[in-house]
Amino acid sequence: MTRTIAKFATVSALALSVALGAGAAQAKEFLLGSELPLTGSLARVGQGMHEGIAVAIEMANKSYAGKHSFKVQTIDDETSPAKGVAAVEKLAGDGVVAITGGYGSNIIGPASEAAQKAGLVYITSGGVSPELTQRGYPTFFRINNTDGYALAMIGLIQEMGAKKVSIVYLNKDATSSLAKQVNTALTGKSITVGMHEFDGSTSDFKPLMNKVKLQDRPDVIAMVGYENDYVGILRAAKVLKPQVKAVVGVWSLATAQMAKEFPDLMENVYGTSMLPYPVEFTQPEAVEFAATYKKLFNKDPDYLGQFGYVQTRLLIDAVVRADEAGTLGKGGLPEELRKTDANTLIGRVTFDKNGDNLNFTHRMGQHQGGKVVLVWPSDAANGKMNFPAVPW
Amino acid sequence: MLELTLQALFSGLLAGGYYATVAVGLALVFGTMRVINLAHGELVLLAAYVAYAAETNYGVNPVMAIPVALVIVGTASAIVYALLSRINQDREINSLILTFGLGIILTNAILSIWAADIHSTSDPWFQDSMVIADTLFAMNAEVAAFIGGLVLMAGVWWWLNHSWQGRAVRALSSNRAAATLMGVNPRKIEILSFLIAALLATFAGFAIYTGKTVFPALGHVLTVKAFIITVLAGMGSIPGVLIGAIMIGVIESLTVTYLSASLQELAGMILFLVVLFVSPSGLFGGGRALAR
Repeated sequence: MTRTIAKFATVSALALSVALGAGAAQAKEFLLGSELPLTGSLARVGQGMHEGIAVAIEMANKSYAGKHSFKVQTIDDETSPAKGVAAVEKLAGDGVVAITGGYGSNIIGPASEAAQKAGLVYITSGGVSPELTQRGYPTFFRINNTDGYALAMIGLIQEMGAKKVSIVYLNKDATSSLAKQVNTALTGKSITVGMHEFDGSTSDFKPLMNKVKLQDRPDVIAMVGYENDYVGILRAAKVLKPQVKAVVGVWSLATAQMAKEFPDLMENVYGTSMLPYPVEFTQPEAVEFAATYKKLFNKDPDYLGQFGYVQTRLLIDAVVRADEAGTLGKGGLPEELRKTDANTLIGRVTFDKNGDNLNFTHRMGQHQGGKVVLVWPSDAANGKMNFPAVPW
Repeated sequence: MLELTLQALFSGLLAGGYYATVAVGLALVFGTMRVINLAHGELVLLAAYVAYAAETNYGVNPVMAIPVALVIVGTASAIVYALLSRINQDREINSLILTFGLGIILTNAILSIWAADIHSTSDPWFQDSMVIADTLFAMNAEVAAFIGGLVLMAGVWWWLNHSWQGRAVRALSSNRAAATLMGVNPRKIEILSFLIAALLATFAGFAIYTGKTVFPALGHVLTVKAFIITVLAGMGSIPGVLIGAIMIGVIESLTVTYLSASLQELAGMILFLVVLFVSPSGLFGGGRALAR
């Protein structure tokens, strides 16, 4: 009897070890590539997205533990289109399965073209210029676009009942196309719009703001640029004090970082924001995302991390599906990614034939007493907007 | 229309003051050593970040951080000089490569230590507005930087013209061999110039931190602007730097007011090219121009 039990135990142990061994043999490690501006003028936003990608890798390794594992190889494009192309070529040479990252439409354009030539999927949230998807590259995907930002800005301005708006915008691809889209929509609704383009080297906005104050005399100032542009514009406005009812911006503005760094400038200013601050997460995935982010970086997640996480997680899930279908090495990843239909931290994501996520709509937040309160649309709002109200 | 023009001229004047404060250190080193220090903008940025660190970590007013920033930037400047002085061949071209590399190292060091976020002072006094005759508007920080910059530049100009060391700098700039034969120690005078440039860079860094925003990639932008103004002024001319910087500031400001803000950099460059076309040595650069 004892001998029989011993035999059974030995056979069971052998069977178990063979089974585990077989499982281990099936586990695959996938190497993703990431090309991002970690230095140069876009370093701040590049690093934000990089953090979101790291969170996605960490969470995917946890959820696919024992089956698959994921690594990311990151190359800094130094905020240079030429170096973005070189980074993609290097990543392709190193055998990555796809690329996640990219910031700035002018960098993403040539970088994703290089990815297309190498047959690699390139997924991003850092370039919203319409031209990027109009190229029709089958390997290009993005989870956000100009339309989503424009709809939010237009919706809020309409809700304010503004009659005259001055749009102050940076002369880059994404910012120009967004400003023009907002201009067209507002003009179509009989709102008078003044357009003021500026260059990235502008650091003194007083002459421009003086034109807004003395010539345009708007109800609302709409800003389309980046963090240091917003600070310059708001400082000029605070000095000149134009008689406006609200100051509205887009990305990189209604953030915890801006609330902490420039509390005197941000009060009552609006910007696009998926999340309120302090962050309130309720969905299980979002709670895990916030906890992982906190564990890795010892801070609350911001919108850049959120977008970086979503794009990378969608890519990872598509990689796994393509691998299971046996099409990963045969160019099946773009098709698998195109089948995506997921409710994510930024809302529902599906991709059209050009790789654009047509479901993307943004929300508007307002800085109120050191917090960011979501104020538009009403179904996403967690507070009321202070209107009319300006930072000065 | 008059209000717009007056504000444009006033803003241009103040912007020119900023530009001059950044550029004058570069011009001084060039005047002494015939070396373009392409790490000068990064030294300015280093001073700004020291002010930021002092304010954020210790609650120190940025003005009080100037002595600490001066020690750090002075040390960094002395290191730049020590490395430059080891170049024995093709000094002008090799110094460009060396200082460009040092600028990259400084930028990345700043990025590693302070991350890529933008910063500016949280002291509200600097951001408060100053209104003159209900027509001219500026931040206190801008006016303070302009006046402080003028005082510093006047001090440097006086020093160059009326002190023994200043005359030695000019002699070295004019004819290095003859100055050495007359008893001037070139190494002492060169390092003195670097330290004066460090003082100017420190003040410029303080001015930028209190009146603008700072971020790691700014150093290169400052160097390019300072280089353009130094060439426009006439290589090595201190008064030329002030006049050239104000000309650039005013033309940029008028372009923003009457054309488009996106054309302001172009307008500055057109002015630069026109001046060089009419006067290839720059505004005050006929020959060895230091202190003229």
